[in-house]
Amino acid sequence: MIRTLLGIHWVNLKRDRIALALTFVLPLVFFSIFAAIFGGMGGSGAGLGTMTVIAVDLDNSAVSSKLISALDGQDAIEIVLAPEPSEDDPAPPPFDRESALVAVRTGERSVAIVVPEGFGESFGKFGGETPSVELVYDPSNPLARHAISGLIQASAMTAAPDVLLDGGIGQLETFGGGLTPEQRQAVDGFKAFLAKADDSPEAGAGAGEEGTGGAGEDETPVFAGLVQVEAISAMKSEDAETDKSRSIISYYAAGIGVMFLLFSMAGAAATLLEEEESGTLERLLSSNVGMGTLLAGNWIFFSVVGFVQLSVMFVWGSAVFGLDLFTPHHLAGFIAMSLVTAAAAAAFAIMLATLAKSRAQLNGISTVLILVMSALGGSMVPRFVMPDFMNTTALFTFNGWALDGYLKVFWYEQPGATLLQSLVSLAPQLAVLGGMAAVFLAIARTLARRWETV
Amino acid sequence: MTRVLSVSGARKSFGDTQALDGAELELHRGEWLALLGPNGAGKTTLVRALAGRVQLDAGELRLLGHRLDGGLGDAEVRSRLGIVPQEIALYPLLTATENLRAWGSLHGVPGSELGERVSWALEWIGLEDRAKEPVKQFSGGMKRRLNIGCGVLHRPEVVLLDEPTVGVDPQSRERIWEMLEQIRREGASLLLTTHQLDEAQQICDRIVIIDHGRAVASGTFDELLSQTLGSRRRVTFSLADEPPGGLSPERWTTADHGSLTCSVADLASELPARLAELSAAGAKVTDLQIEAPSLQAVFIHLTGRELRE
Repeated sequence: MIRTLLGIHWVNLKRDRIALALTFVLPLVFFSIFAAIFGGMGGSGAGLGTMTVIAVDLDNSAVSSKLISALDGQDAIEIVLAPEPSEDDPAPPPFDRESALVAVRTGERSVAIVVPEGFGESFGKFGGETPSVELVYDPSNPLARHAISGLIQASAMTAAPDVLLDGGIGQLETFGGGLTPEQRQAVDGFKAFLAKADDSPEAGAGAGEEGTGGAGEDETPVFAGLVQVEAISAMKSEDAETDKSRSIISYYAAGIGVMFLLFSMAGAAATLLEEEESGTLERLLSSNVGMGTLLAGNWIFFSVVGFVQLSVMFVWGSAVFGLDLFTPHHLAGFIAMSLVTAAAAAAFAIMLATLAKSRAQLNGISTVLILVMSALGGSMVPRFVMPDFMNTTALFTFNGWALDGYLKVFWYEQPGATLLQSLVSLAPQLAVLGGMAAVFLAIARTLARRWETV
Repeated sequence: MTRVLSVSGARKSFGDTQALDGAELELHRGEWLALLGPNGAGKTTLVRALAGRVQLDAGELRLLGHRLDGGLGDAEVRSRLGIVPQEIALYPLLTATENLRAWGSLHGVPGSELGERVSWALEWIGLEDRAKEPVKQFSGGMKRRLNIGCGVLHRPEVVLLDEPTVGVDPQSRERIWEMLEQIRREGASLLLTTHQLDEAQQICDRIVIIDHGRAVASGTFDELLSQTLGSRRRVTFSLADEPPGGLSPERWTTADHGSLTCSVADLASELPARLAELSAAGAKVTDLQIEAPSLQAVFIHLTGRELRE
């Protein structure tokens, strides 16, 4: 019975060229526009909320701890030194370089700063080797890298002015001769003042204001020479720019893909109301087809169409924009996510169709819901430029969970994870979307009673 | 005669509207029964109840000896029922063959028989040469024929047809009646609702007139006639000149173009007397027409309404 229903749907779709174009071509056009715009987007510090940054202090010097404190004092940054305590590990050890890298790679945090051993030694020694810190960044978030880089320079300037002064005077003595006792006394007095001022609470606030100002000034030359920032992509590729660009493309493939999936499914589900209007539904229910079979047939067909639609989108992204789809981990994750996402979207659309009393109602309800969920869930505007509360709101949307799953597949790979482990890491998203599908179908089945015997 | 379908004491209300109010009818094997009634009389509700789409509040439905009570056995016995809806309930993008295959399959025709049944149906509905065209390209009459074909592909013993000829031209209507007559000869029993009173009168064996959810009369046309208008005939006299004065208005009615009409209970004895009366009054009769009461007259007599109301 279901086979016959699937056959009817397939022939209907095959012969409806407008429906085919809306389902498969329009999403590609939108995706291509977004990919072209954002794929080549440069970094800009504007619009960032507070960002949680991992700090790893391998130097353990007074200077390194002052730098980290100064960064923590910035309004835009919240420093964490160790993972969140959990039931399994109530007192986790502080991050080391490796665990910080993993945390960024898996998407737990966007950025990590690693202060290497010997940083304090070389800090403030003008003319010698420039001290460097490592900035481990997530290439999917092009804003964070540049913003944090600027804030490091600003913080370094204000973190230990006494050390900087000491280093500067040392250079002066080396190349310009020693200070007189009076000059030495004045310098020591000023150093003591700077050290004291630096420890006072006001100093942090001052640094914060200055740092915030510096955040928008990407790679300011004055700061650029003070601390060298070695930016390291947390992802595999050596070419961070390519990584970033490809990540944005996979973001939009997922974002636009999910949004259009919902629109296509809503359009497809309208056939239920069309069948009601034409009398075909009445005739179907007078035949050997029960309501459960009818809904199941629709759901299976829509799910398959949705899966094919997402596949076309990602294959297009791969062929035209270099999206990294054809690796075993990515492909397996993509298939798992797309199957469940398409199934949940199909169930959502069928639920809306059973809720609506006419096609006009369905169009209105679905358009509003899909646009709102897409905006909140990150299909239109990248989630990483949204403030925290918006990211939390996204978890109440279909798009939010679907996008989270795709992000895990294409960006936040766990290094060295087996194929199975990669798939297991998708369990929360797969479970929530699967649960949504079950709930939507149950509601649809209940609402569809109005079409059954009265 | 074997009774294949019966409805007794059927009641159904939708909110404050009493759609069925004790409706009764019977259909016998090989019979062709017309269900007539004004719009809103309860015809479609009754057909939907028989199809299992409406649950009665009270009353009994029997199909092929089985009492339809909403139990598991209903589906089995309903698979021997064919339903042709009033709407063109077809898939417009599918071809005639694809529609027939789909609906045949959905009505449980086994795959091995489907090809043979589709060929039979295409020939029966006269669409063999258009079999591979999408239905949306068909004329209204062709769609109607296909609509019927899809409802009887599984060889049902009882066929319910809701307005099978609505909106089609006279030629197509004629073709549809021929098709239905053919399956009736092959043993099917037909229950149809229609607005074509003249055709129902000519074609159907029996007629049930339903109004306000109740069967107000049933039987053959002659039986209905004797129950209502009796054997009176309407006689129209065409005159060479204007009707003469002095005729009793209780016995004569002036009709169009100066003709006179009257109602006659016994033609043999009354007609000569009427002619003599006109002649005596100075009227010259040029022609006369004798009309038996039509089903429409019976219908209006019973329901007080035109069928199209």
